[in-house]
Amino acid sequence: MALQTNSCSGNAAVTMEQLCKWYGSFQVLHNVDLSVAVGERIVVCGPSGSGKSTLVRCINQLETHEKGRLIVNGVELYKGMKGLAELRRDVGMVFQQFNLFPHLTVLDNCTLALVRARKLARDQAEEIAMENLKKVRIPEQAHKFPTQLSGGQQQRVAIARALCMKPKLMLFDEPTSALDPEMIKEVLDVMTELARDGMTMICVTHEMGFAREVADRIIFMDSGRIIEQAAPSKFFKNPEHPRAQQFLGQMLH
Amino acid sequence: MNFNFSFAIEIVPRVLEGIGNTVMIAIISFIGAAALGLFWELLRRSHATVRPVVQFVIDAIRSTPALVQIYFLFFVLPYYGVTLPALLVGSFGLSFYYSGYMSEVFKAGIDAVPAGQSEAAQSLGLSWADMIRFVILPQMLRNVAAPLGAYSISILKSTPLLAVISVPELLGSALDVASDTYRYAEPMFDVGVLFLAMSLVAVAGITQLERRLGLTAPSH
Amino acid sequence: MSFFAILRSIYEGFGITAAVATLGLLFAIPFAVIAGVLQHFATGPLRWIVTAVIEFWRSSSVIVLLYAFYYTLPAFGIFLSGITVGAMVLGFNIGGYGSQSVRAALQSLNKGQREAGLALGLSRFDVLRLIELPQAITAMFPTFINQAIQLIKGTTLVSLIALTDMTFRAKQISELGYNPVGIYSALALSYLILCYPVTIFGRHVERRFATRKAR
Ligand SMILES: Nc1ncnc2c1ncn2[C@@H]1O[C@H](COP(=O)(O)OP(=O)(O)O)[C@@H](O)[C@H]1O
Ligand SMILES: [Mg+2]
Repeated sequence: MALQTNSCSGNAAVTMEQLCKWYGSFQVLHNVDLSVAVGERIVVCGPSGSGKSTLVRCINQLETHEKGRLIVNGVELYKGMKGLAELRRDVGMVFQQFNLFPHLTVLDNCTLALVRARKLARDQAEEIAMENLKKVRIPEQAHKFPTQLSGGQQQRVAIARALCMKPKLMLFDEPTSALDPEMIKEVLDVMTELARDGMTMICVTHEMGFAREVADRIIFMDSGRIIEQAAPSKFFKNPEHPRAQQFLGQMLH
Repeated sequence: MNFNFSFAIEIVPRVLEGIGNTVMIAIISFIGAAALGLFWELLRRSHATVRPVVQFVIDAIRSTPALVQIYFLFFVLPYYGVTLPALLVGSFGLSFYYSGYMSEVFKAGIDAVPAGQSEAAQSLGLSWADMIRFVILPQMLRNVAAPLGAYSISILKSTPLLAVISVPELLGSALDVASDTYRYAEPMFDVGVLFLAMSLVAVAGITQLERRLGLTAPSH
Repeated sequence: MSFFAILRSIYEGFGITAAVATLGLLFAIPFAVIAGVLQHFATGPLRWIVTAVIEFWRSSSVIVLLYAFYYTLPAFGIFLSGITVGAMVLGFNIGGYGSQSVRAALQSLNKGQREAGLALGLSRFDVLRLIELPQAITAMFPTFINQAIQLIKGTTLVSLIALTDMTFRAKQISELGYNPVGIYSALALSYLILCYPVTIFGRHVERRFATRKAR
């Protein structure tokens, strides 16, 4: 049922072939096949512990896989490879817990990697940072420290920080799960806008409204396997796999 | 090179003559420091008006070197007609110095007992003394065991300070050997190795003891 | 001699006390940071060696180390000035304790901080230098102040290797006439003037850090 994988295709942002990963003797990912085209928007869902985070974290090698192939932006990734930092600059990541740097201002959070990794001049970096802070609608908070912001604002800064690097691909790992309900919308709005602008996105989220509206394809994971993938219209109307039906049943209550 | 290893080994028994005093000083000082430290802490908590005074005393103790406190007791006590063996005076000095730190250990240990405990004790009508004795102290002991263990080792490592008031503990007897033989390198080397060994053994022993008594949270 | 004259006379040793303390910090801080970072990252034999070096400096008795280095190094053909030996021994001893604070602070940092830095494409070294160490060092600031006080107090020990610090001055004055109360009160007061403000400052910082963490 998996989509055709075509690793030689020039317009795949991410290609996984038979990807396997273990934590010790526990296998978290079982032969995962996945291809994400440039410009595609993927939503990954599934029960807690099903391996969604692990899958996404493999894509920028915060976790390394032990078997199978993983090609990101045209480069095959493997454990212990050189030049990983450079490749990561083209992959933005947004974490559930924001992970802003508390010792730096909002602006400095955004400029840090531009100055240190992309080697831009400070004023140039600040210009880019302000542009992206505007995009997430908090340019006025630029000189505050992260702890002075609300959760929703912090997560928007985290998105801006990732966008500053002009990534070809954005990864989101449950970006709204740590937020109070009234702040979820402001983050989802930013993400929706990003999707409209044509960003390639892989989002782990349980925000089904967002998935319905934005996703080109929904990936459902269970016990380390992709057991269903379909367009949202199909996935929400009649999911094939009983686990997916059960999961959706729970989500809608 | 002017270092004679066989001489260094030969004099070990003479250096070791001081070990009994070293252990005795460590024990007296530890007990004294813990008792006085607990006293400071209870005094600090007893009444709002004495609190700042006690706090100043504790901070002052912690702001002067142990060596100076020992000199002070050793030279000033006789001036007021109090003559005690140097070993005792020195041990009192160490007790006094470390009581400042112990009071902080007890403070943290008591603070870590949930406030509800003293509220419950008071609502049962226990007196202040009974509350401390039967409710707070038993719970506190668990909290203070690990830091007290650490300070017992600090105290052991501070006992050679008493050599400066001529107490024949390990460093003192090593200095005696040195002045008898006109060779300093070997006795000082010996006593350095001895203290390193003692402190490593003490650390291992205390860790073992705490584990045996179930006093340590499993750490990394 | 009046109490004030005694104080002034003790103060003549302040230069040595300050020099040993300052030099000591110059030994302590780099040692603490380097040893703490190495112990945090190293594996295998390197970790074992780093741990052994730290434990040597931290588990030894400082006064004994001072005597041992002062008298033993020349026998091995190494001649260092008293100030150097004093600052080195005191500095590495405090630095040994400091390394444990550095390591603990690094360990207690949320691993999301490292991951966020790596995900931005910073090198591992830049993540350490720009993200982890600044936070670790801020977190251990209260500990650092306490350790600095220990170092200042520890400088009294150099009087035992014949450096004319404040304590040595007091001993010299005591040879001029019998006045133990005046001399040793003045000596204690001298250190109190030096360390008490730092103690209070440290307490203040500690409280501020505690409330900040609670928020
Ligand atoms: N560092 C780790 N060590 C061992 N097991 C882990 C680790 N991280 C995650 N796991 C396990 O791997 C499985 C998948 O985790 P994760 O990818 O975080 O799932 P999800 O994001 O879908 O909730 C879970 O069973 C989890 O307990
Ligand atoms: Mg997850």
